[in-house]
Amino acid sequence: MAKGKVAVWVGTRKGAYSLTSDAKRRKWAVKGPFHAGNDVFHVAADPRDPKFVYALANNGWFGPRVFRSSNSGAKWNEVAPPMMSLLKDRKKNEMGGSEAGPIVNLWHLTPGPEDEPGSWFLGVDPGMLFRSDDRAASWAPLDGLNKHPTRPKWNPGAGGMCLHSILLDPTRPKRMYIGISAAGVFRSDDGGESWTPKNHGVEVSFQPDKNPEVGQCVHKIALDPANPNTVYRQDHDGIHVSHDAADTWKRVGKVLDTDFGFVVTAPKEMPGEAFFAPLEGMSRLGPGGQLQVYKWSEKTRKFTPTVKGRPFPGDLGTHRDAMDSDWLNPSGIYLGTTTGQLLVSPDGAKSWNEVPYRFPGIHSVTVAPAA
Amino acid sequence: MTFSDAFIDTSGLPHRPMVAVRLDAMLKEFVPRRALTSSAKSVRAMIEELETNYPKVRFRLRDETGQLRRYVKVFVNGDEVDRRTWLSTPLAPSDTVDILHSIQGG
Repeated sequence: MAKGKVAVWVGTRKGAYSLTSDAKRRKWAVKGPFHAGNDVFHVAADPRDPKFVYALANNGWFGPRVFRSSNSGAKWNEVAPPMMSLLKDRKKNEMGGSEAGPIVNLWHLTPGPEDEPGSWFLGVDPGMLFRSDDRAASWAPLDGLNKHPTRPKWNPGAGGMCLHSILLDPTRPKRMYIGISAAGVFRSDDGGESWTPKNHGVEVSFQPDKNPEVGQCVHKIALDPANPNTVYRQDHDGIHVSHDAADTWKRVGKVLDTDFGFVVTAPKEMPGEAFFAPLEGMSRLGPGGQLQVYKWSEKTRKFTPTVKGRPFPGDLGTHRDAMDSDWLNPSGIYLGTTTGQLLVSPDGAKSWNEVPYRFPGIHSVTVAPAA
Repeated sequence: MTFSDAFIDTSGLPHRPMVAVRLDAMLKEFVPRRALTSSAKSVRAMIEELETNYPKVRFRLRDETGQLRRYVKVFVNGDEVDRRTWLSTPLAPSDTVDILHSIQGG
């Protein structure tokens, strides 16, 4: 791979795109749309072998599909979609189908451990997690989560019961986190075999019980790159931080006008700092006609607005997978909007630029080394 | 080319030997033909036969629970099959089945 060359994969309402740039991240070459016409919720390149790229396409006619490219998106092949494991004793409904199916949408891919090439984790609606060890050719359900005893208390959010966040602790190979709307955050310390709800301290505004074990509407989580016991959480009910590997959470976002939002990212070269883009809760738009990206600092315990002036006037919103950051120094931070703008900061959010290409509404933005 | 692979206009014959199956253009990615014949005796058996002969269409018309996907419509002799009973809808050799996709999205 070219040293410092960056690839940004964008999933949109109408297909997927790739953007590549050098380490300056000022000029971008755009390719796409791939899988035109499909709702591509997520595209992920394999950091262990970036020429392998995977796209999660959801389609009202044909259902969910997984596509794989072995040559950086030049050619794609459909590979096996995950299937809900159908129990023999599961009741049939009056339509002749199972009461418990099917998989509605494919949401999020996360590569497995560095030393397990070809391994991937996949989150889907309805709130299920799958693992592949053969580059997505086949998927096995992780039933420790999929059949979790708290499952009857999970509920779908407006986007469905989506499993949208899958994080692996780089310092503890068996430790994983997932986030489901609206079930909350769960942690596994045995590689995904068993799972424990981790929502203590996150209040639920939309249920009679404000402090349940599960049912929180987490929107996105991120691990601090230097200290993975520090976890950042954008929840329906505010911005939270944990310093004990999600055992307890503290809401830190109340100082903002609004701390509702969907996105969070923690750049690898900015330890102790995370970025959020809060939205007004009812409209899901940036407050006051200006989408703002705040930097949270663990050192100062304060938020700092990073978008200066009004460079992007308008009413912009974001989906939960639409912000990511790269591994370079200074850090690149990337934010897509529901109306197709891609905002890029090549300097750790000191400045922001808009890529001069208007995409369909953006679901996801994922950065990887260019192959 | 085998007999069942070809679409043969048998409307002029006194008895058509098989069920005529017509597919809309949406399915061309999965089934290379727009018209087929089938010996199936129910809509379910016809779709299972289609999935066996053209594995790419598996899970595209039906989800993994066996239900028709939301925007898939099946018509027998011009009448839409009731989604509640479509599995057991019988087919006779003279029937014509149309599989269509409704318009969706924007």
